[in-house]
Amino acid sequence: MSNVLRPYLAAVRSTLTAALTLQDFSSQIVERHNKPEVEVGGSKEVLLQPMTISRNENERVLIEASVNSIRLSIKIKQADEIERILCHKFTRFMMQRAESFIVLRRKPVKGYDISFLITNNHTDTMLKHKIVDFIIQFMEEVDKEISEMKLSLNARARVVAESYLQAFNS
Amino acid sequence: MDVNFRKIDIDQYDEDVLLDSELYEADPRDPAQVLDDTKQKATAVRSSLSKGDIVGALTLVLADAPYGPNVEEAKNLNLQTLVTILNSTKATEIPGVVRGLSQDTQDTLMKYLYKGMGLPGWGDVSGSVLLGWHEKLTEVAGTGCIVRAMTDRRLV
Amino acid sequence: MILLESNNYIIQTTLAEKLVKPSSLDVQFVDFDGVRFHLSTPERKTCLLLSMSIKCWDELVKYGVDNVLRREYGDRLQAAAEPEYNVSLELDLEKFPPAGEEREALVRSISLLKRNALAAPFELAFETQKQLAAGGSGQGDLLALHYRDEEAIYVQASSDRVTVIFSTVFREETDRIFGKVFLQEFVDARRLSTIQSAPQVLYTTRDPPLELRHLPNLAQSEDVGYVTFILFPRHFANPSVAESTISHIQNFRDYLHYHIKCSKAYMHSRMRHRVSEFQKVLNRAKTEVAVVDRKTVSGRSLVR
Repeated sequence: MSNVLRPYLAAVRSTLTAALTLQDFSSQIVERHNKPEVEVGGSKEVLLQPMTISRNENERVLIEASVNSIRLSIKIKQADEIERILCHKFTRFMMQRAESFIVLRRKPVKGYDISFLITNNHTDTMLKHKIVDFIIQFMEEVDKEISEMKLSLNARARVVAESYLQAFNS
Repeated sequence: MDVNFRKIDIDQYDEDVLLDSELYEADPRDPAQVLDDTKQKATAVRSSLSKGDIVGALTLVLADAPYGPNVEEAKNLNLQTLVTILNSTKATEIPGVVRGLSQDTQDTLMKYLYKGMGLPGWGDVSGSVLLGWHEKLTEVAGTGCIVRAMTDRRLV
Repeated sequence: MILLESNNYIIQTTLAEKLVKPSSLDVQFVDFDGVRFHLSTPERKTCLLLSMSIKCWDELVKYGVDNVLRREYGDRLQAAAEPEYNVSLELDLEKFPPAGEEREALVRSISLLKRNALAAPFELAFETQKQLAAGGSGQGDLLALHYRDEEAIYVQASSDRVTVIFSTVFREETDRIFGKVFLQEFVDARRLSTIQSAPQVLYTTRDPPLELRHLPNLAQSEDVGYVTFILFPRHFANPSVAESTISHIQNFRDYLHYHIKCSKAYMHSRMRHRVSEFQKVLNRAKTEVAVVDRKTVSGRSLVR
């Protein structure tokens, strides 16, 4: 992990660990319903203060906690048009597979690129610290992946252009 | 059939509805006085800083921090005062300073750190400074401190 | 395979096969840019009819495609093309030269039918340039070739060069951005010392280059890109160089889009890999559900 990124990820890790204290909680509004309160937003006494952790304007994480669920949204760094489209493609690719990524939300929260929704059911069946590990590893690698894809695109474009123009020499 | 009645927000007539003001005890001081207090604190903090007493300055600015509605100006002023302290502290001094604070002060400091990071416009707040403080504070005060900052309804 | 071939592989292999073992056939197939081929044996097994339909035939006729094809194929070119097609070649297998280099050259030349047809405007422009160079100044006509629905090639001769402009459409945003990266590399690549002699490349998006400004009905949107190649006399100094230049430049649009698609496919396989890695990390978080093998009294596993 690079040194620049470390305090940022450490802050996300500690905040997420703190927020992941969930318990089963039935809806206070509708009888026999049990929904993620952070998504319903019906009763404000069970919602906690939303927390933002940011490195700069373009890289931030929003953690919204409630009694039985938390929602974590990530805004991924996008320096230029290429990174923007690669990021969009990558997050879309993942969100289309949200079913197998149990904790992934199908749509990002407005203003962010990708969102996760962790409920008490997930913390019951999965190890909490491993879920945190997963989120942190995702954040770490998604940046790396996008910049690698960009590099490979540029390298390919270069080879393609050179071999096309080279053929005029013969 | 007239269906306009469906658009009426019936929750506002509910006697049991929970209001923001019931979630926490309001600040007994009135907004003008809070602003005055904050301004005085800002001056006191500056003199503490010039003496190099960072722990003292932090304790001062974080004690009786303005919270609740109607005191936006005081909140911003207090945040600015705090940020000048944070910016003027050397990275190596941070652990010592944090250890010198009482638990309540640590919690309030944590709230301010998150507020600083959540600000949309940034201004003179630097992300790396706040993240540095956040890391050291979590090392000293533990995740409990974050939970307390998250659950406290008295927004700074 | 980095460079695309300009001959049609189906024609080449089918002919080679039929020369060895003639049989009746009737196949239709396509090539780049919506070109359709029809290869059939209407009368007897040894006499094949190859027809081609190409979108910009009317324009090609104006630029002297008949002369080019007549030169390449001689008597094999039919006076009247098969209905629904623009041009037909009659290939009598019995009149083919015996197996050897000569026959292979003929088969290859037939498989280059599309390339030869599209070569007409380029050859015309090269001729015009030579005349203009002798005169010292002036500009030839702008030869437009609308070879696809929304895309066109423009060729214009001047006294010291021939300008070839491609207009290309990127159908979606990803293509547009990838296309920009690729085209930028085409412009930058010329700085390399090894390809200094390649034609100069310029590109613009949205606004057409000066040479085309006066044309009506030019699509103006973010999705349109214009690529300009400037061919100097050294690129068509002698017939063999000119020939390879024409084959090569014709393929530019397909080459560019082919590599954009390849990049997208690569990105996709990369993402697939990365996502499966993430999946593994998340799976580590799942707690194992202990499966206890319960036995019955007799010692067999209990199955419910």
